[in-house]
Amino acid sequence: MAEVLGAKDLHLSYGPINAVRGVSFHLDEGETIAVIGANGAGKTTIMRGLSALIKPKSGEISFLGEPLGRRKTSDLARAGMLHIPEGRGTIGGLTVLENLRVAYDIRPNDTAFAAALEPVFNHFPRLSERSSQRAGSLSGGEQQMLALARALINPPRVLLVDEPSLGLSPVMVKEAYQALAGFQSSGMSVMLVEQNVRMALRLADRAYVLQQGEIVLEGPSDDLLSKPEVLDAYLGSHG
Amino acid sequence: MSAELAQQIVNGLVVGGMYALIALGFTLVFGLLDKLNFAHGEVVTLAGFIAIFSVNMGLSIWLTIPVVIILTGAVGIIIELLSFRRFTSKEGHSVSALSSFALGIVILEMVRLQWGATPVQLDIPKSIYISGTVLFGAPIPWIKFAIFSISIFLMIALHLVMSRTKIGRSIRAVAEEPTSARLLGINTTLVTQYVFVIVSAMAGVAGLLIAMQNGIVTSDVGFTFALKGIAVMAIGGMGDMRGAIVAGLLVGVLEGIAFSIGWGGISDVIVWFLMILVLLIRPAGILGGGRQAETRV
Repeated sequence: MAEVLGAKDLHLSYGPINAVRGVSFHLDEGETIAVIGANGAGKTTIMRGLSALIKPKSGEISFLGEPLGRRKTSDLARAGMLHIPEGRGTIGGLTVLENLRVAYDIRPNDTAFAAALEPVFNHFPRLSERSSQRAGSLSGGEQQMLALARALINPPRVLLVDEPSLGLSPVMVKEAYQALAGFQSSGMSVMLVEQNVRMALRLADRAYVLQQGEIVLEGPSDDLLSKPEVLDAYLGSHG
Repeated sequence: MSAELAQQIVNGLVVGGMYALIALGFTLVFGLLDKLNFAHGEVVTLAGFIAIFSVNMGLSIWLTIPVVIILTGAVGIIIELLSFRRFTSKEGHSVSALSSFALGIVILEMVRLQWGATPVQLDIPKSIYISGTVLFGAPIPWIKFAIFSISIFLMIALHLVMSRTKIGRSIRAVAEEPTSARLLGINTTLVTQYVFVIVSAMAGVAGLLIAMQNGIVTSDVGFTFALKGIAVMAIGGMGDMRGAIVAGLLVGVLEGIAFSIGWGGISDVIVWFLMILVLLIRPAGILGGGRQAETRV
């Protein structure tokens, strides 16, 4: 299958720290991959590099078959890369509806806004109840729903999700992963980074284990799940 | 109400509307970039002279409005490009302040080279200052209503743009969460340019309205009004658009009242001392919607 996102020997630094050192991976069309690792392993830095929020020190990233080069973050978003960042990236001062409208406006769309809202509100009825509320007044779980709803209202080519379970109650984590599974079965290509190893491996087709900025283990999720002692060695205690 | 007081309150509202238009420009740029645009006031001056030039070329005063909007909007692009675009580092705030201050002086001196430093007459029929109506015993020329209406119209238009349009949503998104906005496909550079065009065109219309009200244009008009605009921005809360409007009208009316009770000589002291008090007691502005609120809690 065609590769939609890939990195070769990617080095990224965060200020003076070489946070990511020589990482290579690929995401194929319709596939879900996970990058798992402890806090500070460099997961978020990889995500920021992929969406051009930080420039690589060396190495190459390709998106939809083209090298990233000097493309801007906003150009990548319009070309079909949806990066849901740590902290979810909702705009607190805008209402729920306005947040959805901003996400709808990213790329030209054949569906009218009102029609595009329907699947969103079917999937997340809570957002419909709160549509005129400021996003900043929502609970953490509701904000995560709003963030994930972006992928529904104007489906991206590639969805990057940074720690979808962070700061959420177990019920909300389950709900977030159900939504991700829905995107997955609709054929979306998904890459997530997670500390919640078990949840991530259950969803993903393949996974990469990141330790101190380097990939130390990779393979099909089922293989990794069947070797908990190996995961423990790299990740320490995990969920 | 005495005729004198009524007269001064009306004058205060008219002038306050212009303060608000100028303060909205300061506060929008601050809300977006956390930076002060010190070239803003000279756009007001430039607009006055563009009006004089256009009227002397045979244009009616009303037709100068689009001319002023286009030319001062273009000046906004230049201000952003020269004094703001490059300075994105932490020190960028003071660099942009210094650079825009210098650019303001460059604009001012170019205006003076062309039109001189003495007041220049705006050649419009004197009758517009005479015909009018009477409110609470005070004669109010129609031109004051026209000027005030244009100010209010622009404020409503700005509100609608900010609350109802794609560009308005983008501006608010970038002002609040620039990184998230970029991830949502919003080109922050383009949004910044739009904001400079909008605020400069508004300052331009304010400059035209000031010229219409006074019948003359002086090269120091921008400096005088920009100072008040900064006070109004601070009183309204830095980054708070509603606050800028309320504070603009409030300061205008306060000055009017001060004049009517014979305190005209200290009206500036009142305004600036009010700003000091507001900064101490309500640092997020009189309506509490400005940026300082966030840094305090």
